[in-house]
Amino acid sequence: MFSKLLIANRGEVAVRIIRACKEMGIATVAVYSAADRDCLHVALADQCVCIGEAEAAGSYLDAGRIVSAALVTGAGAVHPGYGFLSESADFAALCRKHGLAFVGPSEEAITLMGDKSEARRFMQRSGVPVAPGTDILRDADEAAGAAEAIGYPVLVKARAGGGGRGIRLVRTPEELEGAFFTASQEARAAFGDGAVYLEKFVSPARHVEVQILADEAGHVVCLGERECSIQKNHQKLIEESPSPAVSAALRAKLTETAAQAAKAAGYVGAGTVEFLLDAKQNFYFMEMNVRLQVEHAVTEFVTGIDLVKWQIRVAAGVPLDFTQADVRLTGSSIECRINAAAAGTVSMLHVPGGPWVRFDSALFTGCRVPPYYDALLGKLVVRAGTREEAGRKLQAALCELVIDGVPSNIDEQLAVLTDPRFCRGEYDTDFFREDE
Amino acid sequence: MPLGLRFRKPKNELEQGGRPPARPAERASEMTRKCPDCGKEIPLGVLWEGGDTCPCGHCFPMRVRRRVAFLTDPDSFTELFGALESRDFLGFPGYAKKLRNLRESTGEREAVLCGEARIEGHACALFVMDPYFLMGSMGTVVGEKIARLFEYAAQKRLPVVGCAVSGGARMQEGILSLMQMAKTSAAVKRHGDGGNFYLALLTDPTMGGVTASFAMQGDIILAEPGATVGFAGARVVEQTVRKKPPADFQKAEVLLAHGFADAIVPRAGQRRVVASLLAIHERRRPDEKGL
Repeated sequence: MFSKLLIANRGEVAVRIIRACKEMGIATVAVYSAADRDCLHVALADQCVCIGEAEAAGSYLDAGRIVSAALVTGAGAVHPGYGFLSESADFAALCRKHGLAFVGPSEEAITLMGDKSEARRFMQRSGVPVAPGTDILRDADEAAGAAEAIGYPVLVKARAGGGGRGIRLVRTPEELEGAFFTASQEARAAFGDGAVYLEKFVSPARHVEVQILADEAGHVVCLGERECSIQKNHQKLIEESPSPAVSAALRAKLTETAAQAAKAAGYVGAGTVEFLLDAKQNFYFMEMNVRLQVEHAVTEFVTGIDLVKWQIRVAAGVPLDFTQADVRLTGSSIECRINAAAAGTVSMLHVPGGPWVRFDSALFTGCRVPPYYDALLGKLVVRAGTREEAGRKLQAALCELVIDGVPSNIDEQLAVLTDPRFCRGEYDTDFFREDE
Repeated sequence: MPLGLRFRKPKNELEQGGRPPARPAERASEMTRKCPDCGKEIPLGVLWEGGDTCPCGHCFPMRVRRRVAFLTDPDSFTELFGALESRDFLGFPGYAKKLRNLRESTGEREAVLCGEARIEGHACALFVMDPYFLMGSMGTVVGEKIARLFEYAAQKRLPVVGCAVSGGARMQEGILSLMQMAKTSAAVKRHGDGGNFYLALLTDPTMGGVTASFAMQGDIILAEPGATVGFAGARVVEQTVRKKPPADFQKAEVLLAHGFADAIVPRAGQRRVVASLLAIHERRRPDEKGL
């Protein structure tokens, strides 16, 4: 096991990882930007290293500085969290080159899944259903022909895309040429790669993802699914496990498919296979996230398995001590993301408590929320015996959460929780669009 | 107190299993420093901002130039007698090499830095001894520089502010080191006879010949919290009197209780206290303002 681990991240995920390390007896090194000097992750870690200015490009995205910090402090491993460098094959390679264990999959797996078009082809070969689509397209003319064959509406998707960038929905042939160029240009600007492909637009659809965990010995287990259809501007807002749309039979099929894909890719560590689920219970591979997910807590609540600890154990070469047969999904868990609407200083914080109420956050009274990074303030997660009870619990907990000084989306989240569509469990990724 | 220092540390043992670590985790002395009083690892940034003081109050030794910057107004310090440096005139084994190494590592030529400066606008002559240069021991050059500073201050009618830290007389220069006690004392006396003010600040540790001469001759003697100030060290005293000295033996707090020091001033307040004492002194100069 590693005696010291560096956390290449900030905010609630850095705190989450430090807490796991404290339980495991692992010393922690936090890295921070000039804007994060007084953050909770810095205060909680055993050591901390300033790695540059407030802008992420000069700090949390600077692989060289982070690896230097790990080497200077004598850390044996680096946990990238989510976002920032968590899906950078170059960063994983740099860590390994300097003798640091990277808590995540191999560079090869990251590269494969990072290329959305290549990942699609790989999944197809491994027997995972993918939505009808194309390989990389040369130009708009080729796209027009392919779109006719697939049938409108279609999505123009960037090979390097992510976070909603480099994606365009095309409903009619007239829109195609414009969408092709904007998606390509957006992807070139954001990721330095303008290659795009087409995919059938599955709608209405639910976003359902399967959590997997694999060790070096080749054991792969699936830890159930998460329903993440409540999204606004391609950002997830509420996630739950199990999905109200997934029957036991479908779950068995999803589990088998995801495990098969992970095995074929020789995947090691925690990962998430995202699927689109249509109204007829057909599912299509969307992408695979090669890191810890923001919403991992709901899986932890229904399985009782600590994903972060297992990520670290797997990276240290510990084999999984349970099999798929040991995984029992009990009860229902819902998470809602508390996002900041603006930067500010928390003047008062009250966190709800009680049984099976969890608030993963880096907030404390007096902390500053800087404008430089993502808006996530925390995740309020609950678990109960049934989905209905979990919904009640989350609503009660959310009403008790007080964050003064930083405007947040608590009221918006309450509106979703009390929406009849959410209460019935009958919603899809168009939840907000229908509202408008 | 920074948030980090308020958290306690769990004593969970390292989980077993998996591969052993690639290499042992090094103690990262670059990043934190362990406080000998409270035992906590203090980030260097916190120490720096607190003037090399742990949040628990422990004062770490301060480098000379840093103390000068800490105490005086920006860019007001002009060094004096900086060219003087010790020679190994007794041929003491290893002394010449030690001096060479120390000059390289500290960037200083001797264990005391003298000059003229302003503290919150008040002009003064200043000497600061160096805990990193042979523990501020007093050899011929230290004595000479301090004596010259007092002579210079007497001539220019300047008050002297002196920060003492010393292991005592420098053994490598033998009897000539002891001579410095008489020489500096005489210079302090002449400076005082001219109606000039001398403020001594005793820091940890101030011992031996330095305590027995100019360090204790201040018109006002301030001390840093917890500083050890004495002549013979606790161990020597214990061996001589065959009794274990009390825990607070030779501590600044005991000095204060017995009238050997006038006040104990934590670093954060030193600049203000020294400046106000200089201000009071300025008003009382006999040759001015009709007194």
